Amino acid sequence: MITCKDVVKTFGKLEVLKGIDLDVAPGEVVVIIGPSGSGKSTFLRCMNHLEAADSGTITINGKLVETKESSLNKLRQDIGMVFQQFNLFPHMTVMENIIEAPVLLKKMTKDQAKKKGLELLKKVGLEEKANEYPNRLSGGQKQRVAIARALAMEPKIMLFDEPTSALDPELVGEVLTVMKQLAKEGMTMVVVTHEMGFAKEVADRVIFMDGGYIIEQGSPKMIFETPQHERTKEFLGHLK
Amino acid sequence: MSEFLSFATTYLPYLLQGALVTIEIAVIGIIFGSILGLLVGLGRISKNPLLSQISRFYIWVIRGTPLLLQLFVIHFAIPSVFSALTLPPFVSACIALSINAAAYIAEIARGAIQSIDKGQMEAARSLGLSSSQAMRRVIIPQAFRRMLPPLGNEFIALIKESSLVSTIALYDLLRTGQQIISSTYRYMEVFLLVGLIYLLLTTIMSFIVGKIERKVGAYE
Ligand SMILES: Nc1ncnc2c1ncn2[C@@H]1O[C@H](COP(=O)(O)OP(=O)(O)OP(=O)(O)O)[C@@H](O)[C@H]1O
Ligand SMILES: [Mg+2]
Repeated sequence: MITCKDVVKTFGKLEVLKGIDLDVAPGEVVVIIGPSGSGKSTFLRCMNHLEAADSGTITINGKLVETKESSLNKLRQDIGMVFQQFNLFPHMTVMENIIEAPVLLKKMTKDQAKKKGLELLKKVGLEEKANEYPNRLSGGQKQRVAIARALAMEPKIMLFDEPTSALDPELVGEVLTVMKQLAKEGMTMVVVTHEMGFAKEVADRVIFMDGGYIIEQGSPKMIFETPQHERTKEFLGHLK
Repeated sequence: MSEFLSFATTYLPYLLQGALVTIEIAVIGIIFGSILGLLVGLGRISKNPLLSQISRFYIWVIRGTPLLLQLFVIHFAIPSVFSALTLPPFVSACIALSINAAAYIAEIARGAIQSIDKGQMEAARSLGLSSSQAMRRVIIPQAFRRMLPPLGNEFIALIKESSLVSTIALYDLLRTGQQIISSTYRYMEVFLLVGLIYLLLTTIMSFIVGKIERKVGAYE
């Protein structure tokens, strides 16, 4: 479903990704962990071309992620992305946030999109907030709306970049619950997170990145219980 | 006092006629200045180097020279070379005010657009919106809200600076006042009335902008 081959990315002189290969199967949940600055976000952002890789190829559903605007816009409709800072549109209500892209891009009528939007809001437990503006919501609620907004485009893949890192600890659970539900429904997911509990419970595969490389990958059991590499051990040791 | 009142009632209709001209050129300047200003502002931040250089040059020239000079260039200098471009004072006034306001509004627009968190653009693009759709639906509406306070100041400045058009024989509020003075020699009374009318116009302008601010800012 996602195939990354030898992806390299530099910012000026700083080489952030030093040749990354990754295959994600349909329905697979891949969790990426690693220290700060190891290139996790950059890698994720290359997948939907928010960052342009310098070399290497990324294909999504057999389609090459490339710079050409029109094909890129089409491709991104299939890839939902959830950001650490939510990035809800503050001038739109929750419902308007959700229906914006489907109405604009899927030729849906407003009514159709709203009906769908309400279902999605129910799914994330926020149907009573449809007409609120984002600034009236808690962080956890914002992030759940952001997930619903991404789902409204009916993506085949969801990318999450530290979706709970900006949240107060007591609000993390509600977002993870929604993500677990999504995983259970068979969504293909790539999740960058520091929530090791989530990784253990939900991930099909855990990837440890450091210094622009994938150092080690495997089932959660393998990575958390019998890590092979020094750096993985060290990183996991720090977390405890 | 009653003497002043009777003077005022005699000449107020003339002054109001002048005020109407002032309002007309100010409104036209605001409308076309805003449209042109938004375009120049977008050009200024465009990735196209030619567009951004042209915009930068425009802003540099217009903000770096006096409005009065720009008015004279449009009304006197250009027609002196190309007589086909001779314009009525009203049209010259509208053009000069629009061109001048646009340079300031462009900078206001640029600042506001650049102040929007870049996560907004990324979120919009990640949903599949094109960059122009993202601009139109996500960035500009938010930037507009941030533009309003400085835009209000610019509109008020424009109303006041529009009095410079009195120099090209356009009977705006100020020029009408001067005309009344030339036949009555009542400097004090006339300028008092003219000042009060300008004050009224700028106050109404602040009020309107404030009202729009509250309306579009409901989400904050
Ligand atoms: N737009 C950019 N311009 C320049 N350098 C950047 C840019 N984005 C990221 N970097 C640098 O690239 C490196 C990797 O950043 P990245 O955000 O991918 O790390 P990360 O693994 O997601 O870290 P964190 O856990 O802190 O989010 C960092 O050193 C960062 O400073
Ligand atoms: Mg990151």
